[in-house]
Amino acid sequence: MPERILIIDDEETLRLSMKARLDVAGFTTDAADNGEEALRKMKEQEYDVALLDIKMPGMGGIEALRLFGELFPKTDVVMLTGFADFSTAIECLKLGAKDYLVKPVDATELVARLRSLVRSRTSERALQETRRRFLSMIYIDLLGPLKSTRESLERTLKATHSKLTTEQKEELTNALSLCEKMISRIQSMDEDMKQEAAAELERASR
Amino acid sequence: MAEQTRKPIRFMYTFKFASGAEQQFNLELDSSTLGVRQQHPNPKPEWARLKFSQCENCPLGDEVEYCPVALNLASVVETFQTFNSFEPVHVIVETKERSYSKDTTLQKSLSSIIGVYMVTSDCPIMDKLRPMAQFHLPFATSIETFYRSVSMYLTAQFFLMRQGKSPDWDLRKLVELYKAISTVNKGMADRLRRASEKDANVNAVVILHSFGDGVPYFVEGGLAEIEHLFTVYKESDPESVLPTSQQKSS
Repeated sequence: MPERILIIDDEETLRLSMKARLDVAGFTTDAADNGEEALRKMKEQEYDVALLDIKMPGMGGIEALRLFGELFPKTDVVMLTGFADFSTAIECLKLGAKDYLVKPVDATELVARLRSLVRSRTSERALQETRRRFLSMIYIDLLGPLKSTRESLERTLKATHSKLTTEQKEELTNALSLCEKMISRIQSMDEDMKQEAAAELERASR
Repeated sequence: MAEQTRKPIRFMYTFKFASGAEQQFNLELDSSTLGVRQQHPNPKPEWARLKFSQCENCPLGDEVEYCPVALNLASVVETFQTFNSFEPVHVIVETKERSYSKDTTLQKSLSSIIGVYMVTSDCPIMDKLRPMAQFHLPFATSIETFYRSVSMYLTAQFFLMRQGKSPDWDLRKLVELYKAISTVNKGMADRLRRASEKDANVNAVVILHSFGDGVPYFVEGGLAEIEHLFTVYKESDPESVLPTSQQKSS
């Protein structure tokens, strides 16, 4: 599916020309002439990348970037500016912008940058999926056996307590404690995943 | 006709801001050479020196002290160096034949006047667009600009053909030319960024760059956006521009 790009620039000529160039390059594009309109569009439709002009009347690019980060963290933001300023660039990157381009940008360069960003988004998504599958595997394949092992160790300790040497008791107690640590760690990883999913759901429902 | 050609071509740009402030530029072109008739500022600004920020593809050598484009733009750039690009402005452009007016942004209206100053500056690359100055269309849209560019270039090819030279009807060299012009626009944007406190001047050049950057796409796309307008030519007898007489029904 083609990546969806939202172009946000107050100058119509630039919006239209970027839109035309990106459409030809195979992206699906949409345009907004200020931060407020962009927010409305992003609520209706998920975008992969927002191309965001910094200097606009009304809600400027920096303020919009902050809001996009809070409300639409899945959308990568590339800042555009006609007036390069090192400290603004750093501020944008700190606020989560993925790239910072100084206008004028040739269409070929813009397309190349967006393709590279899309590639890294795809890799990032693949990495997140691998992480999710790995955690699920740990949860399903390890938690059950660990819980059984813990119960066995508890039963063994209880049943054989008087017959065991101090050394044997210590070994079993250590094994039990290790088991509990691993169970607790896996449960906390699972809790993190649930919280991430809940936050994502909440963002999506806003 | 002869008298008319001797008179300068004049574009009087008046910028009226919401604050009541007004700026006026009287752009006069020599009707034979299409060169700008104006006094350069004295002293010339430092940022106009060729070496201050020379374009990547600039063919001018060390013997040239000042960038011709920068010199032509100096008075406009210095006037608007502290203005924001999105500043609303009412612009009136008066010529001998008609006047144009538009409520627009400063960057858009500046791109209009800066475009004329650039192509009439004697910059060896921008020079190829010089004939367009005669037919300057203030506040032109992209498609209007593309059409004017292609029309100007095809007219030039017609003259080449009449001289017995090889015309470039495929517009291949026009694409090449606009790629070079894009490099000049980028170079000029870099120069103006260093010469301005705010972004109005730079963004005006950014708009010009977006037009220029679009021409190769327009040409390589076979002028598809306007092809439908020429149906009447495509469907008619190539041997005759006038309709062939139809047989009357009895």
